[in-house]
Amino acid sequence: MIEKLPFRAGDRRARELETLRASARKSPGDPAAAAALAQAYFDMAQARSDPRYVGYADAVVSQFDHKLSIDLLVIRGTLYQYRHDFDKALVDFASALAQDPDRADAHAWRGAIYLVEAQYDNARRECAALLKLQRPVLHGGCTGLLQAYTGQLNSAYVTLQQALAMARYDDQRLWLLTRLGEVSAWLGQNARAERHYRDALALGLDDSYLLAAWTDFLLDNKRPTEVVKLLRDWEASDPLLLRLAEAEILLQAPAAKAHMQALDDRFAAAKLRGDTTHRAEEARFQLRLRKNPALAVQLAAANYQVQKEPRDLRVLLEAALAAGDAAAAKPARDWLQSSGFEDARLRALATQALQSAPASKTPMVAP
Amino acid sequence: MTRRLVWLLALLLCQATAWAHKASDSYLVVDAQGKQVTGQWDIALRDIDFALGLDGDGNAEITWGELRARQSDVSAWALSRLAITRGGVCPIEVTGLQVDDHTDGGYAVLHLRGECPGATGALGLQYRLLFDLDKLHRGLLRLALDGATYTTVLSPTSGVVQFGATQTSRWAQFSQYLVEGIWHIWIGFDHILFLLSLLLPAVLVLHMRRWQGVGSFGSAAREVLWVVTSFTAAHSITLSLAALGLVSLPSRLVESAIALSVVLAAANNLWPVVEHRRWLVAFGFGLIHGFGFASVLAELGLPADALVLSLLGFNAGVEVGQMAIVAGFLPVAFLLRNTRFYLRGVFVIGSWLTMLVALIWLLERAFDLKLVSA
Repeated sequence: MIEKLPFRAGDRRARELETLRASARKSPGDPAAAAALAQAYFDMAQARSDPRYVGYADAVVSQFDHKLSIDLLVIRGTLYQYRHDFDKALVDFASALAQDPDRADAHAWRGAIYLVEAQYDNARRECAALLKLQRPVLHGGCTGLLQAYTGQLNSAYVTLQQALAMARYDDQRLWLLTRLGEVSAWLGQNARAERHYRDALALGLDDSYLLAAWTDFLLDNKRPTEVVKLLRDWEASDPLLLRLAEAEILLQAPAAKAHMQALDDRFAAAKLRGDTTHRAEEARFQLRLRKNPALAVQLAAANYQVQKEPRDLRVLLEAALAAGDAAAAKPARDWLQSSGFEDARLRALATQALQSAPASKTPMVAP
Repeated sequence: MTRRLVWLLALLLCQATAWAHKASDSYLVVDAQGKQVTGQWDIALRDIDFALGLDGDGNAEITWGELRARQSDVSAWALSRLAITRGGVCPIEVTGLQVDDHTDGGYAVLHLRGECPGATGALGLQYRLLFDLDKLHRGLLRLALDGATYTTVLSPTSGVVQFGATQTSRWAQFSQYLVEGIWHIWIGFDHILFLLSLLLPAVLVLHMRRWQGVGSFGSAAREVLWVVTSFTAAHSITLSLAALGLVSLPSRLVESAIALSVVLAAANNLWPVVEHRRWLVAFGFGLIHGFGFASVLAELGLPADALVLSLLGFNAGVEVGQMAIVAGFLPVAFLLRNTRFYLRGVFVIGSWLTMLVALIWLLERAFDLKLVSA
């Protein structure tokens, strides 16, 4: 055997995809058939964290260069946001909403982008639109996250819990439980955070975001053994391999070396093709594993230009502190001040980072 | 945040492959020394499978035997998506096939060899692998050109990339697209047939409902000039509008309308409706043909850094190709204009055949059928 494929030809998903491909082939130019196929590819990319399927979806959508249906516009928007091309994504969501103001998914994606970009007033408008469209779960997720990022962790917790009580689908529950875990951890309530994460895991759905958040929690609480056990089979995903390697370093496990080499290779491969979507992970890799804070701070600052969520802020602060680069920490400090984000750990980090003179402080692995 | 489909657990269990998930890349290493070109092209087996289907027994495992069995298909597919030029097109062949591993899995390694017409000057490379199926695919090129090394990432918007001879690279870019333009009018039979249908009567005049030869070469040439110029002007307009992304029409509509234009032009020779204002017909339908050229150009890709120049080059190439057809056609047609061979054979039977062929195209394109062409 020289290669293993994702599916057998007779597998259910392979047959479903083949059916969708066949109907798109049969009626080229039919936006409904194309949208169904592109959506299936994109769902596949998310479930398996496999970007090839994003490329396939993109090729399907690209056959319709100018006159896109509303469905295709929304899908193309999600493809742009996947590549962190948020401006183009927002344009597509806006065109979709101009044609159909009731597209809750377009509002939800737009809200998510504004939250990543720290444009909280805009995000608030999208959350309100979801409420008006009577989508209480989406509205709760949107508002809960907005509250969390703007200094109201306790209200955020309540909002997310209310949304959870209304959520009927397991994948919505998984998303809300993950966020409840994060908010609890920011509040310093570790037992509650762990309970939410475990409830999310118990749903039995694969979700690399959940695994990343949960293993970050474990690493922060110095429980690397559990990380290694959990992520052993997730080497294929770059963000999860990073967490696995961090845990292995803490345990001084022999596999650490090979995994760090693999990460090196993958970041190099991404750089070759001009892909910059993994800069946050790469910054963390350079900071915590390669012990190269100077490079880490560059990467984290570049990432922070695009993404401004708490985890982006944290790697920037940690890198700035390790590199003794108070100037690099400034935008993060400004954000903490303007947003009022409450996580005590980040606030302490920011104070430290701003005071730090160039020093040879070793980077924190698990503060 | 949006609801995602929920997969069965069984499906998730087969996830445990050891390979990383990354977007698709191919690794193309080319060494050009004078006329000689050698190279190595690593293409992911997953990508080949997605494009061609390699897994013959459907067990989700690709074996060396399965790859070997499809070697000629793989080679033909890959080579049809790579063009190298130096003083003209360099024919490339695959001389060997191996397998190798990269960070994300198994790759087929194609060994390439070719010979270019020119031993000096710029080298042009056009890469289109997988772009029709995977817009995130990239070709990672490392080129050694007479000792100098270039690296670049080839994407759907790269178009034809030029290396070496930097002073002339703008001109080379222009001429590259000029050649493509000429080539595409020559292989675009529907465009040629449309033009010829309009030109056939240029050396004739309708007299008492009977066709006979025109008196002077000058009047024939004037008629040809009007028709060709208006056809050119019209398709230049729409080609530019479409290539710059300002206007777009569904390709099935465009292709069908092009076929219809040929049918009507040929029919007009048999049952004349438009006699004196053929240039108007040429202009009107030329607008549609421009969209047809644009789809060819879109397939070719326009380099973002030399968009207008390449567009001009392609357009000029189409004109040069047309002029060559006219230059070949007009003197011969003028000489033969009063012969029975021209009046009956070329004009009448030719128009009939053209109309029939175009009718078949029209049916095929409008109803998405395969009647004659494979």
